[in-house]
Amino acid sequence: MEALLSIWRDSGLSNLTVGQVVMIFVGFILLYLAINKKFEPLLLVPIGFGGILANIPQAGIAYSAVENAFYFGGPEVLTELSHLLGSASGNIAEMKVLYADAAASLKAAATFVAQDNGYNNGMLYNFYSIAILSGAAPLLIFMGVGAMTDFGPLLANPRMMYLGAAAQFGIFATVIGAVGLTTMGIMDFSIQEAAAIGIIGGADGPTAIWVSTMLAPHLLGAIAVSAYAYMALVPMVQPPIMRLLTTERERKIVMSQLRHVSKREKIMFPIVLLLLVALLLPAAAPLLGMFCFGNLMRECGVVDRLSDTAQNALINIVTIFLGLSVGSVLVADKFLDLQTLGIMILGIIAFAIGTASGVLMAKIMNSMMGGNAINPLIGSAGVSAVPMAARVSNKLGLEANPQNFLLMHAMGPNVAGVIGSAIAAGVMIKFVG
Amino acid sequence: MDELLSEGLSLMVYGMGFVIVFLTLLVIATSAMSRIVMRFEPAPLPKAAPKAKTMSSNPADDAQLIAVMTAAIHKFRNDRKGQ
Repeated sequence: MEALLSIWRDSGLSNLTVGQVVMIFVGFILLYLAINKKFEPLLLVPIGFGGILANIPQAGIAYSAVENAFYFGGPEVLTELSHLLGSASGNIAEMKVLYADAAASLKAAATFVAQDNGYNNGMLYNFYSIAILSGAAPLLIFMGVGAMTDFGPLLANPRMMYLGAAAQFGIFATVIGAVGLTTMGIMDFSIQEAAAIGIIGGADGPTAIWVSTMLAPHLLGAIAVSAYAYMALVPMVQPPIMRLLTTERERKIVMSQLRHVSKREKIMFPIVLLLLVALLLPAAAPLLGMFCFGNLMRECGVVDRLSDTAQNALINIVTIFLGLSVGSVLVADKFLDLQTLGIMILGIIAFAIGTASGVLMAKIMNSMMGGNAINPLIGSAGVSAVPMAARVSNKLGLEANPQNFLLMHAMGPNVAGVIGSAIAAGVMIKFVG
Repeated sequence: MDELLSEGLSLMVYGMGFVIVFLTLLVIATSAMSRIVMRFEPAPLPKAAPKAKTMSSNPADDAQLIAVMTAAIHKFRNDRKGQ
């Protein structure tokens, strides 16, 4: 009888909390969206599955050694930890707060105490600390994206860069939105949190993850999930805004063909960009440095093997670890929160404003250049989301005029948007980090 | 609270301003780079005139080729006989 009871006490069923049930359900929703609706499946499958794994009761897969000791440890290890952390009551909730605020050396000591008592980091926690806490995974993905990016259309028409700049307005407008909600007392965001939420409007997954790791690591799960979910929603969110802001005549504008871009120009571009970043905004150097490195590998033509690995095998491996790691932060006490709802709403607003300001900028440039040079539909591609946003521009262009292929023209603002959101990320980290 | 709002506003002004300034400089630098590269780029080579490679049209080469092939066939046959 005793044995039966102890099996029951250790079973998942008897330890399941309401929060875990809800989070496992959220994991299943993400899997459903990825598998049935094809929403960014490459990321939402690992994220959803990681979320389910992280919420399995008693397994502690997503917890660090110390957290595992807090949850599952006997009285001896808890006493030892409470002495170390200087907790008078020995209460677990109090110790968690003390541990979160502790200096790195004290945290290391607590980890050793936990490990001496046989508690170790969960698997997903290890992935999380290697892939995300270190900042490695988003940067490696950025290298792969650089290796996949063809700057030809942008080099043929460098003025498209302004469309990529304008679309970043969504990021900063959302910061104001988050701060405004705090001022009105509806939500409670610090300026760092507001900045991390705004970057969702950049529609660039790795940039959003990188910025939120730096500025607001506790919001990482909500920010990453909404960034990727909205990127999947690009074909649904953007067209109504684009139709609203353009006239039928503007949508029919046929753009002149792009000039040929030589190989040397393509090789020189990442170097020029890197120099400019080094001179003006070193805070963006990790992101854009890896991006330029990937692009140089692609264009220089002598390291095809490396370029091939960066844009295929490596990016796939990193995506698996990144997805599982993001999933590991989808635990109830960090995710089920009014803030998450606020992040979801602000994220989609950021996206809509970014799209609108790209289109409006394109209209302004068009009227400055004589009224028939730029089809405003390509402005919306300024919100990175490569290449989905460019495809949306192309599709709307074809709807207005079946002979008008805007894809290559839209790729220019699209890749400019990647650069623009990386710059915006650098500015955020510099100003509020 | 008002302090937070002003912090947000200044982030927006500085941030947006910086993004625009940076990308403007990038437009200038890129255009300059393109112009320099195009100036130094050797004019695209005229399609290499069809010469030398087309041996068969040259009777002297044909004679040489036949001589080489005959010798090779002879050697091959002799080797086979030797076996």
